[in-house]
Amino acid sequence: MNRRTLLQAGGTLGAAALAGCSGLVTTEPAGNPPVIDDRPSAVYFPTHVEGMELIDIGTSGDYQFGLFYSYPHRFWNVGGAETTRTGIDPDDDIHLMASVWDGETGQVLPETGASLTVRRDGDLVFNEVIYPMLSQRMGTHYGANAGLAGDGSYEVTVSVGGMATRRTGGFEGRFGEPASTTITFDYARSAREELPRRLTPDRAGERAAVEPMEMEAVPIGVAPDRDVLPGVRGSGTSGDAEFLVGTLDAPPAGIDGSGTYLYVSPRTPSNQMTLPAMGIDATTGSFDGELTRTLDPELGYHYGAVVDSGDAVTITPTVPPQTARHEGYETAFLTFDPLEVTL
Amino acid sequence: MSDDRTRRQVLKSAVAAGGAAGLAACLDTQGGETVDRPTGTDDLSALPERQFAWGEVVRHDEHGNEQLPRHQILLYLTLERDGRPTETDRTQVERAFASLNRAFEWSHEGVVWSVAYSPSYFDRYDEPLPESVDCPPPQSLSPFEQPTFDEQDLLVHLASDHAAAVLAAEETLRGNRDSANGVTFDASLDGVATVATETDRRTGFVGTGMPAERQSGLDGIPDGEPVPETSPLFMGFKAGFAQNQATENRVAIESGPFAGGTTKHVARLRQRLDDWYDEHDFDERVAEMFSPKHAERGWVDDSGENLGDGSRVEETLDDIRERATEAGRVGHAQKAARANRDADGNIRLLRRHFESTDNDVASLHFPSLQREMSEFETVRRAMNGVDFTEETPVIRQRVNNGILEYIFVTNRGNWLVPPLSKRALPRPR
Repeated sequence: MNRRTLLQAGGTLGAAALAGCSGLVTTEPAGNPPVIDDRPSAVYFPTHVEGMELIDIGTSGDYQFGLFYSYPHRFWNVGGAETTRTGIDPDDDIHLMASVWDGETGQVLPETGASLTVRRDGDLVFNEVIYPMLSQRMGTHYGANAGLAGDGSYEVTVSVGGMATRRTGGFEGRFGEPASTTITFDYARSAREELPRRLTPDRAGERAAVEPMEMEAVPIGVAPDRDVLPGVRGSGTSGDAEFLVGTLDAPPAGIDGSGTYLYVSPRTPSNQMTLPAMGIDATTGSFDGELTRTLDPELGYHYGAVVDSGDAVTITPTVPPQTARHEGYETAFLTFDPLEVTL
Repeated sequence: MSDDRTRRQVLKSAVAAGGAAGLAACLDTQGGETVDRPTGTDDLSALPERQFAWGEVVRHDEHGNEQLPRHQILLYLTLERDGRPTETDRTQVERAFASLNRAFEWSHEGVVWSVAYSPSYFDRYDEPLPESVDCPPPQSLSPFEQPTFDEQDLLVHLASDHAAAVLAAEETLRGNRDSANGVTFDASLDGVATVATETDRRTGFVGTGMPAERQSGLDGIPDGEPVPETSPLFMGFKAGFAQNQATENRVAIESGPFAGGTTKHVARLRQRLDDWYDEHDFDERVAEMFSPKHAERGWVDDSGENLGDGSRVEETLDDIRERATEAGRVGHAQKAARANRDADGNIRLLRRHFESTDNDVASLHFPSLQREMSEFETVRRAMNGVDFTEETPVIRQRVNNGILEYIFVTNRGNWLVPPLSKRALPRPR
């Protein structure tokens, strides 16, 4: 698709550097340092930072797709509250990433489900359901390590499914259908080796995060600013995540019921990345139940319900974000204490 | 190499390759010029009116489970003529089919087969199919698939335990040979209906040990030959237990001009089993294929031979929701089973799927027979498990959600299998 259109589409998103990798210097592309032993049970600065390259952007149906690649990564799958490390396989050439967003609002879509099909000269090279992942630089995206068949031109098809997540307001009736787009990827190992990569021994393990990427026309999974969210009542911290809590006098269009709408918008510290695919219970007034995962143009991805509001709400995260984690996030957002916010 | 081993090596690829060369390779291995199978009959009244009445004439295992013929071919044929077929076309097609009945015994030792017609074939006529037939055009059946719809005119499905038999039947039916199994054909389909593209010829196999023999180097199967010798399917487990299959009576259309027919959905699925075998242990595979309860209670040994004639999924349905939330995954078979019984408790679908190595990719051909196509669609939607993804974020659209992560639907087609007496280019009424 035409990049000018994209720029307009994603115009709210502070465009900066051109081709992707901001502020990283090339050093040695040697092996990865080991994962540090004394990681905090919280967000921490990783042992190394790698640049990524935007391969191209595609569009189909309600969706815009960004396809990126980087060096193969180690990452951690999450199932319930357990993490399982996925190492780099000797056959892996790259880490392939897809970002999916709404072209109209720039809203990153965290729960579409995604798969990649990589072909070379029509032959299948790679085809997998890829997992939602959370990284410090991108927030929610979908990714996997992939082995390729050497240097050459590949056709990469990114496919998403229709969302089951509740959509409200201007998102009602959208993102319900599957879509796919095919992007050409001219891969050369030598080009991959030129991607920036920086070892960060001085900061590794520090309770901080790498700066989010800034890429022209590509939105990242940042939660809405506290300042722009309506009816914010307060916030609290649990499991190293920040939970912003707000109420509206009436629920967003598309939700049955009337009365106070309680929403919770959890995000990472520092980078304010949305934490999707959680289970969150709330107790307030006579309401005691689970909040519904919801995507709304104004509130972003959040957890909400119509409640009979009391003076305070107790928020109890029951299931941690079911997204794989890039290094620096794999020990955070796994176990939570309940938190209380005054309404 | 021993003779037996050589023979098996040839058979591994001969049906997929097809043509005169594939047939010659098969015949060579059996050291003869002819297919040498039992011949059939010229008395059509000796054959069942239901073309799908295979149950009586195929093998059964010791538990009474239907064992589908080992070698199968699907020919997706397109009529050469636009518009309605002529009487001459119809006569030629019936003579070709009757010749096939003469050439091979109606059994797994000869060839069992059927011909079916697509809704788009019936669009050639002015009048629609009758109310008694529920067979709409194919549609997407999950929130994440974008399959190619098979809308060719006819689907001929050939099956035999003998590779040379299905190949000879195909070659002769298509007019590439004059005779099969020593029987000269009166006619072929050539000139009326043809296999228009390479992808309209699809092949496969099913049976204990056959996937294991073919797994090495196959795209979709990881290194290390993980598919067990005991399994009839690539995913490592048996399927099609008798107690979990519809009877042929249950899937037969009961009234109207197509009484004695059935509807047939055929999906083609690509299998990507790297993570299935490399990231899951046996218990996790059992949990995702059958149910978490099957895994916890150790109900499945090896490929599931010990299950006998029933998968026991019914025993997992009462608390499926609680178990799924606890275990963080839900089983494939149990999800589908939720919708696979009618109000009288009878199973609705008769599934007759088989594996494929077409284009050197591990795939599954999934024919399912049912009285009404909507019954298939209902079961398939239950298999999507969207309700579980709403229940807990641990179960996602295709992750921890049965086997959806490992199968990619590439094609779907809906077909009407008419009764034998209407098998040659039927009119809709």
